[in-house]
Amino acid sequence: MFLSVGVRFEANVEALNMVETAGNYGKHRRVPYLVEEEGKLKTVYVPAMSGESLAHAYQEHLVREALSAGLPVCDDCQRGEFYKSMNKVHLKKKVDPIPDNPKSIEEAIVKACVVEDVGGFLYAEKPPVRRSSAFQVSYALPVKSVALFATSEPQLHARHAQMDASSKKGNASEQMIYYVETGTALYGFTFNLDLDAVGVSAITSKPILDEDEIKKRREASLKALFRMLSSSQFGAKLSRFFPVGGITELVVAATDYPFVVTSPIYDDYIVKTKKRLEVLRSFGEESFLAVAGEEKVPEEALKEAIDYLHEKGAF
Amino acid sequence: MVPLTLFLKVQLRPTGIIALRALPQSKMRTALRYVPPTTLIGAIAYPLLHISGNRGETTYEKKNFKSKAESVMSLFKWVTIKTEGRPKLYGSLLKINTIYRGKVQSAVTSFPFAVFYGDSTNSLTAAYFVDEDVLSESTYSTKDLERASWGITRLGSRESIVSVEDVKKGKVQLREANNVKTAYAFPFKGVNVQGKGTLQMVVDWRSGIGDYSNAKRMVMFYPEGTVEVQGRLSIAELDGEVVVLAP
Repeated sequence: MFLSVGVRFEANVEALNMVETAGNYGKHRRVPYLVEEEGKLKTVYVPAMSGESLAHAYQEHLVREALSAGLPVCDDCQRGEFYKSMNKVHLKKKVDPIPDNPKSIEEAIVKACVVEDVGGFLYAEKPPVRRSSAFQVSYALPVKSVALFATSEPQLHARHAQMDASSKKGNASEQMIYYVETGTALYGFTFNLDLDAVGVSAITSKPILDEDEIKKRREASLKALFRMLSSSQFGAKLSRFFPVGGITELVVAATDYPFVVTSPIYDDYIVKTKKRLEVLRSFGEESFLAVAGEEKVPEEALKEAIDYLHEKGAF
Repeated sequence: MVPLTLFLKVQLRPTGIIALRALPQSKMRTALRYVPPTTLIGAIAYPLLHISGNRGETTYEKKNFKSKAESVMSLFKWVTIKTEGRPKLYGSLLKINTIYRGKVQSAVTSFPFAVFYGDSTNSLTAAYFVDEDVLSESTYSTKDLERASWGITRLGSRESIVSVEDVKKGKVQLREANNVKTAYAFPFKGVNVQGKGTLQMVVDWRSGIGDYSNAKRMVMFYPEGTVEVQGRLSIAELDGEVVVLAP
């Protein structure tokens, strides 16, 4: 089974994805938009969030869901440091001595950690072992039709130190100003989850875990997505730059084989997704679609999708 | 009787960003501006293997590690792509702070990617020409290939998600020509081109896509709009459009 979700969310005055810092200036991630004006192309830079940032948040939620379901998560991933068994030092925490064949290495990692099972890993030693992530996340980008209204604006902040003449030493400053660049936009992103990949070897194509464990892990991976979207717990600087806004629309599709909803950065994404799903019927394939907008809240649509997958025996 | 070749014309809509690593085995994060044929093979291999119930990604033969996508490579005679809109390369500088083995480390890196934005439809159209002799001897059917086309999820990295908006299939006749107009990428070898475009060195997928270290390279011309090509050309006409194939 394959799940694909398209999300539109409004975020005002957010600092969800900061990248470059130049001195006291923290810059928001931006991407170029090419806009045609009077027959000429010009470039406008708009705020964005990377798929890596969203993937990190999802995996943090996956840690919590897995642990609450009594499933294994390795120490690195429990701390939110997703090294993913990248070398001997990290792999030795899971299996010691390290096996010399790829199948045993993959088996040891998958058995020891739900995050590396679902989120994939690359063991970059000899022999190298690779497992692609079962989930995929696009960048979160401003919806095309209103992208020119998106803004990146630096906000001035200051930190003060209380000092008097006697305690002032050297060149210590009494205040420090700094800028946090905030973004405002209606964003859209796509999230895919390949449930058939969970607990199954990327080398032999055979299950590594028993069916009961695989179903528990699938359920945890779905709950993690539900929680991430419902709680808006993704991106950086939430403690002081929690964005004003929330999910405005959401479309969720479940199919037997891979299928991606049309990106919500395009205005026709719901209509297009519906039409494209109809094509799959000609292949004799069942599918599910739920749309959250004015009549249905995102949680309802996600719950319907999870119920559908449950009925189909995914978990 | 001239044999006809099955084709699949797949219209893809990007989610905005396409991250294509130009040097897969290097820490240097350079990106390709246009989608290479190897990525097109990998893109369709994922859903195709999914349909056959094969979750394999890597095959291990002694000390040779290869991408499983190579197992479906021979199903195709030629693959290419039409790119609408001019992609722009952009790279963010990333500052990374980590607590690594007990020590705090700081590093700066960059992550360039191609951005497909603009007022145009920004669609990408992939063309797959199927080797029906190989297909008939494989475990796959034409229907599997068509469903796999609808199931393409990404081009390159896991962030480069695309949705398939349309798939057309049909039969084409391969023939010779000396002068054609095309919008699809083609090998830049023994041809004269009139029009705008970009030359890009890519892996010649026909020499294998499992291991790039010794793979042959070829130069592809990615047209900006439609260009005129002259030379001794092998071409196919699909759905009113011309594709120039490898010599």
